[in-house]
Amino acid sequence: MRRCAVFLLSISLSTPWCLYAREADTLSAARVVAVKALPVVRAAEEMKLEGKADVPAQLSDVLQVFTGVQVKDYGGVGGLKTVNVRSLGSEHIGIFLDGIQIDNAQNMQVDLGRFQADGFSSVALYNGQKTRRLQTAKEYASGAAVHLETARPALPDKVVGRVKMRAGSFDTVNPSLSCSAGLGPVALSVCGDFLYSSGRYDFPCFGQTLVRENGDIRSLRLESRLFGNVRGGEWRLHAYAYGSERGFPGPVIRRAAGFPFSAERQSDQDFFVQGGWVQEWNGAYSTSLKLKYANNYTHYATHAEKNPMAFPYDLWYRQQSVYASLAQSYVISDPWSVDLSTDVQWNALDSDVGMFAEPRRTAFTGALSTRYVLDRFRVAAHLIYQGTWDVYKNLEAGAWTRENRYRDAWMPSLSLFWAPLRNFEIDAFVKRSYRLPSFNDLYYRLVGNSDLRPELALQTGADLRYALTSGPWRFDARISPYYNRVSDKILAIPTTSQFRWTMLNIGIVDIFGLDVRLTAAWAAGDWSASATTRYSLQRAMDHSTPGSSVWGNQIPYIPVHSGSIDLSLGWRKWRLHAGSVFTGERWSRTANIPDYRVAPWSVTDLSLSKTFSFPALRGRSTVPELSLGVVCRNIFDRHYEIVQGYPMPGFNASLSIEFNW
Amino acid sequence: MLCGAFLYCACQNQTPEVPSADADLTGTKVDLSGVVTSAKKVFLLNEGGMGSNNASLDFLRISDASYITSAFKKMNPGAAAGLGDTGNDIAVNGDEVWMVINNSGLVEVVSAKDEKELAAIKVATPRSIAFDDKYAYVTSWAGAYAIYGPDYSITDFKNPKGMLYRIDLKTRKLDSKAVEVGYQPEGVAVHDGKIYVANSGGIASSLPPAYAYDNTLSVIDAASFTLEKNIEVAVNLKNVYADGKGNIYVTTLGNFYDVHSGLYRMLAGGSVAKVADYVSISALKGDTLWFVGNAEEFDFSATQRTWKAFRCKDGVLAEVNLPVGILTAPYGLCALSDNAFLVSDAGDYWNPGTVSLFLDGAKKWTVTAGVCPGHFALW
Repeated sequence: MRRCAVFLLSISLSTPWCLYAREADTLSAARVVAVKALPVVRAAEEMKLEGKADVPAQLSDVLQVFTGVQVKDYGGVGGLKTVNVRSLGSEHIGIFLDGIQIDNAQNMQVDLGRFQADGFSSVALYNGQKTRRLQTAKEYASGAAVHLETARPALPDKVVGRVKMRAGSFDTVNPSLSCSAGLGPVALSVCGDFLYSSGRYDFPCFGQTLVRENGDIRSLRLESRLFGNVRGGEWRLHAYAYGSERGFPGPVIRRAAGFPFSAERQSDQDFFVQGGWVQEWNGAYSTSLKLKYANNYTHYATHAEKNPMAFPYDLWYRQQSVYASLAQSYVISDPWSVDLSTDVQWNALDSDVGMFAEPRRTAFTGALSTRYVLDRFRVAAHLIYQGTWDVYKNLEAGAWTRENRYRDAWMPSLSLFWAPLRNFEIDAFVKRSYRLPSFNDLYYRLVGNSDLRPELALQTGADLRYALTSGPWRFDARISPYYNRVSDKILAIPTTSQFRWTMLNIGIVDIFGLDVRLTAAWAAGDWSASATTRYSLQRAMDHSTPGSSVWGNQIPYIPVHSGSIDLSLGWRKWRLHAGSVFTGERWSRTANIPDYRVAPWSVTDLSLSKTFSFPALRGRSTVPELSLGVVCRNIFDRHYEIVQGYPMPGFNASLSIEFNW
Repeated sequence: MLCGAFLYCACQNQTPEVPSADADLTGTKVDLSGVVTSAKKVFLLNEGGMGSNNASLDFLRISDASYITSAFKKMNPGAAAGLGDTGNDIAVNGDEVWMVINNSGLVEVVSAKDEKELAAIKVATPRSIAFDDKYAYVTSWAGAYAIYGPDYSITDFKNPKGMLYRIDLKTRKLDSKAVEVGYQPEGVAVHDGKIYVANSGGIASSLPPAYAYDNTLSVIDAASFTLEKNIEVAVNLKNVYADGKGNIYVTTLGNFYDVHSGLYRMLAGGSVAKVADYVSISALKGDTLWFVGNAEEFDFSATQRTWKAFRCKDGVLAEVNLPVGILTAPYGLCALSDNAFLVSDAGDYWNPGTVSLFLDGAKKWTVTAGVCPGHFALW
């Protein structure tokens, strides 16, 4: 039974891939004694998304308020949204869905615009080294990580479900349906959602007001998950299909009247199936096996027949990846444990682009880690090795031969946790991580450079947390100073032949930063209220070329100051939430001159929701609930740009109605 | 030399003129001692970054040796959109400056005296410009089309050939007549009733079915405005120059892989002969073509550089002392005289670049220009 207790702890404290045993439900908290499964460090930010009618529809809007996070948003529902953390480029940020990385070997960037916030039960941000039992090796290997979790359905009844309809500005309609059913030891959940938006909104264009055109999107997502138990273990299977067709409205530039900004269209068909099996073999040894196959097809066309200004491109790309991970954890002597995680991944990129390199990559990632976990003091050390072997067609060699190249990197890291007082905790970490050159960096025709090394990020930081509870009051404070250095940064630079560019490992960026978060919450009777203030200071200096005119300047699109304020008020089943996000001035170039200054912006959102409960149906324990919510974004109708040339929408609103049974 | 410059200024002052509206623009003072030129201004079109709407017009005012940046923006404050996106070519015709703003789909005409906007003429994907007495001739990549089946497979695809358009110099209106030329035409030149268009095939090289660069020079009869013939030169044509004496020079970029860039000369009978390998930047002054090339152009490690400069007169080459290798990324060339050159440096192609004066083979000064300073014109 003691072993079950360990499993229970790991569920409640952290994990998506928990060991879950039914009988654990009967354990009393007093018997939970083993601490070996405690996470060594906490997530920097974590937010529950499930069962809230006032959560922003887009995941990128949820992440935007987190400290140290900058979302690069090209505007509109269908516009590209990438995330960088603490001035590390989005290539360094791992996006994990239930512990398995969503990756993109082509450009190393994941478009968060593809994800709806209500598809997940929680989202967590790790700035440093996430360290916990039975992680995949890739979970250790990224510079910072966003973890999206879907909960295993709790099934007191045989069938539960949710139907939701959201509609609002930009002709957006977003119906979704999900259903879960228990079938003995197995649970099945299916969900789907459809999204349409015309993407039409007013924006100021050199003294006129125009409507954003060709920003429409239609997408369909279908998912199904299967959960099951075996003795001392648990397994999951997840199938995902996503199809979308969208337009890119293009940058706002001076353009002759009658010529559109853009007629570019892209359609995507993404499919993956992933699964895992976590097994406790005896009190000391457990394993986690994960597998994934992904196939992403993109068709991109500039539609020159509709836009005489377009370069006539019509291309497709197909990425495939096969991934397997085995994590093993052995408790040498409680609370001292050691983990070995080994991942193998194969990636392929095909296209009908002329003279395409058709790269294939086989990557091995291994992580050896050890943890010593006490209640008030925890330490973990990790050594990660990543090696990749690429095969590609080499045009430069003068013929269509296949060449191969091996790249590897060692990534050590150390994490510490110490709670000197009951309500005061300190986390600290130091870490070296690499991001591999993407297929575009290496093999993009006339630009790619197959000699690239991985890009290095040296990270160090600390979290100081203080919590105080007093009567109906709760206070939380977190102060996190950090220093990052990115070197061997991969930059596109022109060659001695001015018409050909190449990618080189020449960039160096030094980043000094500070994240601060303060929360005050109060609850009494039917009332609850909370206020959270977040502030990030980032000084990200270009140190690539000594003596250059941009030496020491702030790197593009990183604000020195940014922050957010969240206020929420609850009364019975009413919830009112107001949030403001602030981003200070930035530059679109490393030349920090007025021509390239991007104005500071701040937007305020307001939301209100109400939940109605209905009497439980006979023989069922769950209470059917109806939730109504209204979310108003940018209530002061501010016009702003996050990326220069890509205006963001002004005031917009959506209504949602959700029924759970 | 100083004396000559002084005399030149004195001559200018003999007919007093109303001070031009841009006389108040101040810029960086530079040293023009030793530079002999009959030009009043040297214009420089900065391309800007594609999609960044930051093309800009700078000029060097010879009279007070001032280098002035962003003149279009300063002299046209009402034009909120600025000069536009991706300036690709600039040429002076009389007292007018014509600029080809590629990604804005515009040919912009401003006064050479004060940079005030005179007209903006809509032309799809314009690339380069040249003049005769009646027309401005503009090359364009337009004319593409593709038709897709239900599953997005291409059922009909026309590899897009470019066009040569003409604009009436008096009315500043685009003529309805156009001539289809080769793939992705770039440079254009006019001589003796014929228009010469350099076809690059820069886009065709990555498109099905051929995945090939163009290699032809199109010859158009100006009177009938019809295509006369296409002459094979070498892969990926870039610029074309007419020296006024009947020599037509063509520069090519090569394929960045096994065909080097080069300079070719069209002979009287229509045959073409190679003059030199390695041409990165070039400029015509009078009957002499000046160019700079890099023998290490296939070395993409970007460290080794073997830049050499030449002049070519009537097809005869002579090496010139112009050490542009001290710059990061030589991007544009302007010959002020036989010993004075302005060379622009694109730097990292992302942040503002620079312009430097080379006099008698030595760099005299460097000033900051706009992003991707690429194209010069003398007035």
